[in-house]
Amino acid sequence: MADALISSIGRITAENVESLRHYRSGIALRQDSRTGEAPLQAALIPDDYLPSQEEDMTRFERLAVETLRQLAEKAERSLADCPLILSTTKGNISLLSSGLSDSRLPLAETARRIAAFSGMDEKRTEVVSNACISGVSAIVVAKRMIEDGECRDVVVLGCDELSPFITSGFLSFKSVSGQPCRPYDSARDGLSLGEACGALLLSADCRKGAVAVTGGAISNDANHISGPSRTGDGLYFAMRDAMLDSGISADDLSFLNLHGTATVYNDEMEAKAVALAGLEAKPVQSLKSYFGHTLGASGVIETVICCHELLSGDFWGTKGYGECGVSVPLNVESTHRRMPMRHCLKTASGFGGCNAAIVLSLPEEVRPMPRLEPVTLESLRRVTVEGGRITVDGRERMTTDAAEFGQMIREVHKARGESNMKFFKMDNMAKLGYEAAALLLEGIVFEPEEMAVILANRSASLDSDWRHQQLLNEGGAEMVSPAVFVYTLPNVTIGEICIRHKIKGENTFFIVDGYDRERMLAHASAALSRTKAKYCIIGWCELLQNEYCANFELIKK
Amino acid sequence: MEKLIEELKQHLIENLNLEDLTPADIDAEAPLFGDEGLGLDSIDALEIILILERNYGLKIDNPAKGKEIFYSVRTLADYITANRK
Repeated sequence: MADALISSIGRITAENVESLRHYRSGIALRQDSRTGEAPLQAALIPDDYLPSQEEDMTRFERLAVETLRQLAEKAERSLADCPLILSTTKGNISLLSSGLSDSRLPLAETARRIAAFSGMDEKRTEVVSNACISGVSAIVVAKRMIEDGECRDVVVLGCDELSPFITSGFLSFKSVSGQPCRPYDSARDGLSLGEACGALLLSADCRKGAVAVTGGAISNDANHISGPSRTGDGLYFAMRDAMLDSGISADDLSFLNLHGTATVYNDEMEAKAVALAGLEAKPVQSLKSYFGHTLGASGVIETVICCHELLSGDFWGTKGYGECGVSVPLNVESTHRRMPMRHCLKTASGFGGCNAAIVLSLPEEVRPMPRLEPVTLESLRRVTVEGGRITVDGRERMTTDAAEFGQMIREVHKARGESNMKFFKMDNMAKLGYEAAALLLEGIVFEPEEMAVILANRSASLDSDWRHQQLLNEGGAEMVSPAVFVYTLPNVTIGEICIRHKIKGENTFFIVDGYDRERMLAHASAALSRTKAKYCIIGWCELLQNEYCANFELIKK
Repeated sequence: MEKLIEELKQHLIENLNLEDLTPADIDAEAPLFGDEGLGLDSIDALEIILILERNYGLKIDNPAKGKEIFYSVRTLADYITANRK
């Protein structure tokens, strides 16, 4: 596994590691075009860390392309034959301030451009946009692609940059601290935003001097789209399943690298999950007080650092941590120390109630695992919603004359005999997914962990992104609405489906050019062969302005 | 006071996307949050803070402090009346 990393505290991986060694944080009071109107504690990448402007690349793309260049250099090989998985929450969203029509906005196009600029295969790109777990999710997807024999090598690239779009939204949530963030501390009062780009080359041949990804799992809280679970059970399921996947037990873990955003509720939820997993005595760290919360990049860059910790024997203390501020015991350490290394558990949690965990192992510690039994998939039901026409298994279930999507979907909701107050508060894409899922799951009985949801679309959450951007353009950061901003992540649609149907299994949102059923079945098969899930919803959930199409299918193993 | 209550109901319907409700459907004394009443959640609480800021010039920095103020439309109106300059 080779890596590359550009952040506020280093232009290459080694510089980042040196900064950590000296407790150097990238978070500082900043004000520029990326933070927005008011000064903000944020971890920004200095402009001179990036190559100069060339070839009509956006800043986001330059960051990504430079990181991939460093990765190829370090791996001493060309990446031309490797598939690329891009993990990002917002990609080129800074372009949205001048309108919705820029062709570089859709994330699949962003990934294609990055591949083309980097000499990689533009046809073998996929985007995972699953809020703040995107990076860890993308690593789980890549690991399975290799295990299932789809490819020998995969590049996972995690990248997000800051813009007024993002900062105004988090400020409206009142989740940004006025000071550099203090994970798990009793005085913590919010997160610090950051930007970074990291890349990992995962290979089937695990060489000495590398680290192996031996376990991975994803879950949902089914609790609330922005509020973390009050019990921690969702994150616990992901931790438990990642350890099962790798064949290790609690005793084998050297340390835990948690999400640790330093919001009151996130850190509390994590402490509860760690206790449920029986890991409360394990040394815990959060790297957010060094890098800030780098959103879709965080899972990748923090994994890069964990790999270096495993290889070097250095465990980094959590800067800003003083006194324990969570209600159940958690062994957070504030100072660096040397420790014997074997395995590390890395987790992430995000909006939409999603959680992910991976196990990273030194090569000599990798457990031989039994071969996975191939699963046979059966398609149980299919639902489509398009052009005012709703079909179930190809038969017409309902039609409406409503010309406007909002009116149409309200009629569908009422015709089904449901009147959920929460439905009316959702954005249009979530309403579309909510109704399609409701028709798909009619009469299906299952336990929370027995159902997985894997969706894809082309426009991600651009419909709500545009609403948020318009509020920002019209009235500045003061006018943005948390109820709009929360839907600027496509996987929040999955979150709404999970809450409604009490689904706690795997959940991932892919952004691609068009619906590829075979690809989605491969993802479903990868999930169903490894987890407790017996069923998986796969589907296309696309909505932009008044154009929409849902095509959902229930798969059973 | 009654005029303020009607106005608040209108703001709630617009800002919280309570599309299918009319002001008459909202009981000024009923709890806004929790399982009874309107069943609002933490995102709605943030939106109510914005309603107070934008329309009445009142700032509540800590959403946790808002619990009693946000109990019902009536308690919101009482708070506005007592604090509006």
